Amino acid sequence: MSKEDLTSNEKIKLDPTVSPNKILINKHQEDSKEKIPLDSSSTPFEPIPAYHSGPVLASISNFFRLFVSPVTTTGDGSKNGFYGASNEARSGLARVSEGNNSGWSQIAVFYFYHTILTICFIFMSIYRLFEYLWNRSKLRFLNLAYSTSKTPSVIHGDINKLPKIPQRLSAILNFLPEQEEGGGIEGLCNSCSDLAAWSLSAGIPYLNIYEYHGVLKQSIPELRRAIHRKLVVYFGTNNVPTFKITVPHLNLSFYGAFDDEYDEDITTFDINISLLSNIDGRPTIVELTKVMSDLSKSGDLTEKDVTTDFIDRELEQLVGVEPDLIIVFQPFLNLQSYPPWHLRLSEMYWEPDNTDVTYAVFLRALQKFSTCKVNVGR
Amino acid sequence: MADWISTFPLTQHILGFTKTQLCRVIHSGPVPEHIGFIMDGNRRFAKQHKIQLEEGHNAGFESMAKLLEVCYDCGVKSVSVFAFSIENFNRSNREIDWLMSLFKKKFKQVLEHGDLCETYGVKIRVVGNVKLLPKDVRQVLDEAEEMTKNNTRAILNVCAPYTSRDDMTHAIRNIVKEGIDSKDITEDTIGKHLYSGPVPKMELLIRTSNVYRLSDFMLWEVVDLDCDIEILDVLWPEFTPLRLIWILLKWGFNRTYYGHRTANLLNLNNGSDDDSHSTSSSTTSQSQLKKTT
Repeated sequence: MSKEDLTSNEKIKLDPTVSPNKILINKHQEDSKEKIPLDSSSTPFEPIPAYHSGPVLASISNFFRLFVSPVTTTGDGSKNGFYGASNEARSGLARVSEGNNSGWSQIAVFYFYHTILTICFIFMSIYRLFEYLWNRSKLRFLNLAYSTSKTPSVIHGDINKLPKIPQRLSAILNFLPEQEEGGGIEGLCNSCSDLAAWSLSAGIPYLNIYEYHGVLKQSIPELRRAIHRKLVVYFGTNNVPTFKITVPHLNLSFYGAFDDEYDEDITTFDINISLLSNIDGRPTIVELTKVMSDLSKSGDLTEKDVTTDFIDRELEQLVGVEPDLIIVFQPFLNLQSYPPWHLRLSEMYWEPDNTDVTYAVFLRALQKFSTCKVNVGR
Repeated sequence: MADWISTFPLTQHILGFTKTQLCRVIHSGPVPEHIGFIMDGNRRFAKQHKIQLEEGHNAGFESMAKLLEVCYDCGVKSVSVFAFSIENFNRSNREIDWLMSLFKKKFKQVLEHGDLCETYGVKIRVVGNVKLLPKDVRQVLDEAEEMTKNNTRAILNVCAPYTSRDDMTHAIRNIVKEGIDSKDITEDTIGKHLYSGPVPKMELLIRTSNVYRLSDFMLWEVVDLDCDIEILDVLWPEFTPLRLIWILLKWGFNRTYYGHRTANLLNLNNGSDDDSHSTSSSTTSQSQLKKTT
């Protein structure tokens, strides 16, 4: 079924001379025709899900290794001077081998401070344990306190109290190994469909889902079905909201749970979901630069044309519009190569030590957003 | 209370001593190579303390000088501070004028005394669309850059007037202008063409006054997998060196305890993998190290 989709998309050939982004999208489509299996039957891409091998033991061994030989810890030994002071120890070693006495004192001083640091870290690990327990119990309490009961009216009631809600919401999700809770492609699709249902109930028309590896882009049939099922649970079988999934990188769109579900004349959808991944970030900007440099060589573009507005327009076509709020569903704040151009004024939200996609986090993010005041430059 | 204690003799010395010792302790472990600061909250500070707006900016500068000292003491190689955004030109004329004269005054001070620059060997660089600045300010900034250009131990990037989108546009424009062959354009090429040029990878971004936004600062750098973002609930002038020491300690702890945690979370197994298992690789790297030393 999706193969037909591809061919139907090819029919609408874009005129490549119009603008750089169109050239790029055409190129991407050409490239990915063979690579991306859009059929559910073909084996999906797996970013090697692996068991986390005993993080506690690993951390203890990290400590030990940091203590014994600071240079090799965290695999950064090859990177010069990551541990600034370990250079001191190294130069000390060098001097010792030259038969210089001051080398020994250098090593002694370094290890003196280093021992204190290690002791600090041991105390901090105890502190961290309590912090973790506190954060987790807080999250558990919140999850109990805020429940959707799978009815849109509850969500609507929660959101209605807020003075403002974002128009465009972005969520950073993680592909977890299949053995973990909420892991695997199914888990990811489930989180996605949860988010779609919550956003719909909250009245957010645009939802971006960012997943680093782009697993979602390669399991679109599953995703369509998962969203449809979830919407049926929330809204009933009689009035399932219309949704549209887009992959901006390939300029593909999918409407509803299966092809030809909606009449052709429908142009607005209740929710627009767009799937982003690592490729939409820096690599897209690099590709755009390449196309621009080629265009300038053929004389179609001069350097004066390259302005912030121009690039903004092109990237809007290629990736989408900047979101108002980004919810990061991971234990710490890191943007995982999210498209850098699209982060300018977006509000970020994350819960420390949270690993799950839950309604409590979603609601708290919206609550935080509603209190924020954006004043550009003033 | 704190004020009263500080009236005792020797307190300043003891505080200073503890600070340098703590910094040396941190220096012996992992330290971020490049830190970015978004200095937010000077005006709110002025409002809260019922002082003039200008005094608020002044307090912010004082706080910055103290924090930079801690950074360089701890062995941070490069620091970027967001001093002035291109969007800030929308502020009232009076405030802009005052900020410009503050720049001029402080940079002149640095030129005359050069204490921070000389003790730490700091190379000052002005990062951003300098053409937008008034001529006299530009001249002073140029002088400061010129005077410190031979220092190599650490870098201070003063981002004024800067926005990241302008930065990226500038980089792309320059690449187009230079006519680099499209096959040779990579992420590194763009990274090198940014205003900040070849600086170490940013590994920590600190923003004050509890705002969860990047406000167009170093977006290209911040999205990196190794860059952690720290958001504090204090206003910039209230940001004490002790707080920064705690953040650096926490950063080092996280790096030691979790390794490159984002890469681990994403199952990216490039190099960072061997800190969780495979003792054999660590022994080989140790033996390699022995060979090199």
